[in-house]
Amino acid sequence: MITQEKYRTTVKELLANGSIKMAIGYRPGSTSDRRRPLFIRTSEEADQLVLDSTCITNLSGYLVTEGLLSDEKRVGIFLRPEGIRSINILAAEYQLNVDQIIIFGFDFTGREVRALQGQTTGDFSALLSEIRENPPLATKEPLLERIEKMNAKERFDFWQQEFSRCIKCYACRQACPMCYCRRCIVDSNQPQWVNTSSHTLGNFEWNVVRAFHLSGRCVQCGNCDRACPVNIPLRLINQRMAKEVVDGFDHFAGLSPTQEPVLASFKKDDTETFIL
Amino acid sequence: MTRILFSDKLDNCVAKWRSAGLTVIGPVQGESLSSYATVERGTDLHLGLVLPDRSLKELFFPQTEPMLRYTIKKNEIETADFTAPSAPRIIFGARPCDASGLAIDDPLFGWDYKDEYWFQRRKESVIVTIACTKADDFCMCTSLKLAPDSTKGADVLLRPLDKNRGWLVEELTERGREAFVIISEYLQEGSETALPTVEVPEKFNLDACVTWLQNPENFDSKFWKEISMRCIGCASCTYLCPTCHCFDIQDEGDTYSGIRRKNWDSCSFALFTMHTSGHNPRSTQSARWRQRIMHKFNYFPGKFSVNSCSGCGRCSRQCPVDMGITETLQEISKL
Repeated sequence: MITQEKYRTTVKELLANGSIKMAIGYRPGSTSDRRRPLFIRTSEEADQLVLDSTCITNLSGYLVTEGLLSDEKRVGIFLRPEGIRSINILAAEYQLNVDQIIIFGFDFTGREVRALQGQTTGDFSALLSEIRENPPLATKEPLLERIEKMNAKERFDFWQQEFSRCIKCYACRQACPMCYCRRCIVDSNQPQWVNTSSHTLGNFEWNVVRAFHLSGRCVQCGNCDRACPVNIPLRLINQRMAKEVVDGFDHFAGLSPTQEPVLASFKKDDTETFIL
Repeated sequence: MTRILFSDKLDNCVAKWRSAGLTVIGPVQGESLSSYATVERGTDLHLGLVLPDRSLKELFFPQTEPMLRYTIKKNEIETADFTAPSAPRIIFGARPCDASGLAIDDPLFGWDYKDEYWFQRRKESVIVTIACTKADDFCMCTSLKLAPDSTKGADVLLRPLDKNRGWLVEELTERGREAFVIISEYLQEGSETALPTVEVPEKFNLDACVTWLQNPENFDSKFWKEISMRCIGCASCTYLCPTCHCFDIQDEGDTYSGIRRKNWDSCSFALFTMHTSGHNPRSTQSARWRQRIMHKFNYFPGKFSVNSCSGCGRCSRQCPVDMGITETLQEISKL
């Protein structure tokens, strides 16, 4: 409650003195456990801000809304550590200029919300390094452990079963801050690279394309998993891919805005021959 | 005196319908999702759900469906049609909002072209609805002038008795009567009183909303931009909707042979209206959300005299950013 009040005041001040043109936060939703994204442009809108342990959604995807940052003005945004990592990745991939972003950091333990000290991504580098040492990957996922114990056939069958429910609503893509492509490969229809049908093959194509494209970029914010209307445990795929990237390339995504993207960089002395 | 179907006879009924050649379908709670699915026993049905996560629509209009197989040869193109599989079935325990959804879409699928896939399945399906005795925060049938015991689209309506003992049977159509003749030995005459249906509060003034939407001046209202600012442009709402019916036709295969399929499509997607030239008449998400609302409450009723919404609330219930028809119409009511 105190954190929320403090941030309301901060947002009002920054709006009033012109430091930011908008702040992106949370407001009450249609039920007591739901929160809605809130775009704060006035002092009255700042009064709607809520900050509690139900503010889970990673809002950073809104920053790459077409035109939002093109006037070079600054935007404030409420982010948990995963969200800050997302900003770093977006900056590293030249999708935004971190100087335009004011971060209102927060996190919670249980229901206790606390502010994170800092305003720019650089202020949080110590915190992010700490997360790297104690990565969220380490959190025990009973289902992931079950999948790890499966053989290839069982694993394939498991995912086939899960993907059979996919309806290709692309909520996972739309909710993901990293899915900012102006035109997604599945929407490219001349030629149609990926089947649009949501039959078994089409669903596999989509979900596998997504898994690969997010490797080394996903911060496990869980937006995709929560957005999925048919409850496919998408987080597990990304979690597993993130582990591969850490193990294989020593790359923990989103540590800084200048971190080289793992899938978009190469070395001339790479031992693999297929790229060069 | 009314006819009563007691719950302890449900297993017998399912067996009887199955032996009469009907596939029995009803609400089933899976490990992580509930939907209308085929059952073998009455006990497989989960009749206590407020409503299944997935709507009844997909049993009539599946997310992907083959239409024809084609082979292009030197001098001719060979085609072979897929027809909707013939499978008489009974859907037991559908919610009235889901059944209403089917009735709402009937005129659409039979308008300038009669969609044989839809009507083949409609003709072969007996819809048995159960009046609702519970609702959640998102249910809004009453706001759409429907009710928890609406009979629209249903062949038989069942009204629950207390303590899950069974249902009063109201046969509504000839098709419904025929299906209940099959199980008549398990029905009893009695004079029980059904439980009252659940009170679903009215959430917005539909007439006021429709008047506002019909006013051409409001097409360019800044309201649309404000309300849809957080819309992320996924198709969760349209694909779970029991009445959204847009589809795309796609050829899958190589240059010389393949399958033509009918796939769900959504007005939420930018690609939905993208022209070959690259121009997009609905270039912003607010234009797309406006289309969805206008279509349901202005254009569709203009053509078919019925709103394209049955008040199930799935759009709001599942929205990743907590939007939906309810909030939009509530806000319009305030304008």
